[in-house]
Amino acid sequence: MRASLIKIAAVGAFLISSPNAQEAEAPDEASGLAAWAKIYEIFSDERCASCHVADGRPMWSGEHYGGTYKHPMYVGGSPELLLGHPGLMCTTCHMAENAQKLHGPPGAEVWHLPPAEMAWWGKSSTEICEQVKDPTRNGGRTLAELQSHVAEDPLVAWGWAPGPGRKPAPYSAKETADFLVAWSASGAPCPPAD
Amino acid sequence: MQLTINGKNHEVDVDPETPLLWVLRDEVGLTGTKFGCGIAMCGACTVHVNGQPRRSCSLPVKLVDGDITTIEGIGTPDAMNAVQEAWVENQVAQCGFCQSGQIMTAAALLSMNPEPSDDDIDRAMSGNICRCGTYPRIRAAVHAAAAKMRGA
Ligand code: FES
Ligand code: FES
Repeated sequence: MRASLIKIAAVGAFLISSPNAQEAEAPDEASGLAAWAKIYEIFSDERCASCHVADGRPMWSGEHYGGTYKHPMYVGGSPELLLGHPGLMCTTCHMAENAQKLHGPPGAEVWHLPPAEMAWWGKSSTEICEQVKDPTRNGGRTLAELQSHVAEDPLVAWGWAPGPGRKPAPYSAKETADFLVAWSASGAPCPPAD
Repeated sequence: MQLTINGKNHEVDVDPETPLLWVLRDEVGLTGTKFGCGIAMCGACTVHVNGQPRRSCSLPVKLVDGDITTIEGIGTPDAMNAVQEAWVENQVAQCGFCQSGQIMTAAALLSMNPEPSDDDIDRAMSGNICRCGTYPRIRAAVHAAAAKMRGA
């Protein structure tokens, strides 16, 4: 309560001190944050975040698992081995296409993990936002490259076509890329950490 | 459809969606590769495609993109592969059902890592389930096979 009063007072003071700057920037920032909220809804969805993990161990999550688990079979644990371990590569089980049986292995071209610095699992909106636009932690991508990665990468596209019985990520790859365009156009703002 | 299996060419006439396992067992007659679960959860059906382990129960034959090796192709009772020899010497098998998959995974591990640690072995072999619980003997046999292959 006290903190929010202070915030309101601070915003009020800002409004009074520079009304023009506020009018010029507020709508942009607000629409940028609104676009980011949708992007966060997608990136933090279990279909995306299950593989964006920090410890090299992807998650199994979704209703058909009856809960959320770390990938069994002692998979992962070496965050630098994004393609799996010798003898048990991701592609030992994950094919170029989804298995058509529930609980069979999902698949797409070159099934692998993203690097640990791109972890989203359990991260806040602010943390994911800062990571996504930081080229040292986003694969060296500009925001434009990020948009085409989301729009075109076959493994990203899997999130919206995850095979029988799995709930797809919200929206679509195209809409996600559009949200990224809108977000970048308004200066790629990140929500403040709470 | 043309497949190269254990160095021999085979022409098979099958639905392209057929899992490789059933092509091997029912069309080609190689029954050393076993069926356990059908959903890549147990490892009994492991074969190599281009030297890499794959779960043949979940690999539609249309997606096979290289030469296939099965348990029959890595060695024979008269001329065993080092991994098979180590398996016999360590008396690994109990019922034996999982073992062709275990051996194929172990052989793939050793081709990539000639001197695996216990943890390397566990990481490679944990997708191969043994309902008889032969895991300690599997680990010992992988170390023994590694030593043989290094000529130690
Ligand atoms: S039968 Fe293929 S993994 Fe179980
Ligand atoms: S020896 Fe019986 S299942 Fe492994």
